[in-house]
Amino acid sequence: MIKLLFPILFPSWRFFSSIGPSPRIDVAFIAEKNAEPQAWLPFRSLPEQVGFAAGVRRLLHNPTWNERLYINTCAEHLFEGPSDFYAQEIGARLVNAVLNREMNVDGASQYLVFRIRAIEFDAGQVRDEVVFISQPFLLQAPGGK
Amino acid sequence: MTLELVVRLAEIILGFAIFQQSLEFMRGLAAERILGLIRACLAILLMLGLQPLLVESALLMTALLFVTRYQGPYNGGSDTMTLLVLLCLWLSHLAPTRYWQEIALGYLALQLMLSYFQSGWVKVINTQWRSGAALQQVFALSAYPVSERVRLWAQRPQVLWVMSWGIIIFELIFPLALLNQTILIIALVIAALFHLANAWLFGLNRFFWIWPAAYPVIIWFQARIAEVF
Repeated sequence: MIKLLFPILFPSWRFFSSIGPSPRIDVAFIAEKNAEPQAWLPFRSLPEQVGFAAGVRRLLHNPTWNERLYINTCAEHLFEGPSDFYAQEIGARLVNAVLNREMNVDGASQYLVFRIRAIEFDAGQVRDEVVFISQPFLLQAPGGK
Repeated sequence: MTLELVVRLAEIILGFAIFQQSLEFMRGLAAERILGLIRACLAILLMLGLQPLLVESALLMTALLFVTRYQGPYNGGSDTMTLLVLLCLWLSHLAPTRYWQEIALGYLALQLMLSYFQSGWVKVINTQWRSGAALQQVFALSAYPVSERVRLWAQRPQVLWVMSWGIIIFELIFPLALLNQTILIIALVIAALFHLANAWLFGLNRFFWIWPAAYPVIIWFQARIAEVF
């Protein structure tokens, strides 16, 4: 608890101090637990533009965007090393998004898999590399049958 | 402004910021929805000024549950500032004397000042920020831009260079605003517009609501410094 609270009580305000690799999350749906993902889809891809009214609305209430930022934070932790906690956090939220019909899934798909790509500038070029592929997550609500 | 009025104003803004965050949590996973609802109710009580010590104690406890649940903040710096404002206001109620009350609020004012100054410092010592390349990468590759159209700003390096230096200079000279109340108020208006731009371009809406919760405290702090010196 002390370890968690210390940076809050004595914060380090180093916003954007360095620009590291940026995570992108892709999801795939599979029918069986051991099946290979065939097609990866970007999770919550950006809209072409956000209009004025939507911008004002998002200023007051933007739960999906803030969840997206949290998922990215979890993904950045996974850049540093394996962590069941952060992988589960991402997986649970992606499953929840699918159950809330944010993404269309065919009836045969029982599981969701996600991968994390790291995107960064390297020697003047954009490097796009898959750094993590998750275990399958059953597409059902927690406690569901 | 009296100390009591400063605390009241800060609590109203903090209450609104926590209410806003809580409504977002109420759209999340099951456990978040319950905790979000509890915090939304507490935030209303805080805005109304009913039993602030008890309400802030309860908000602190729920904040600790969130910190434990997420193994740290959910929304980075905005959660940190929320907890810091809450803690300092809570301590100001608990303080046995006015001296300790002022210490608690003074610490918050100091952290607010540092939140700008330290951000400016880490940027000015970074060559990528000085050249404008860092901001260009934020627009081009980071997960923050809210739309593809905002990403296109990455193709305007000269604008981004001016923006980078504007941000760096403003953040670095922010502590000088403590020398005069009018300058401080102008600086806080600029800072609020900066948070608004971050919310608009990068979706960092929670920062826009929580940072101003500490503004009445730093205005009081500046007047207190002027009194002493």
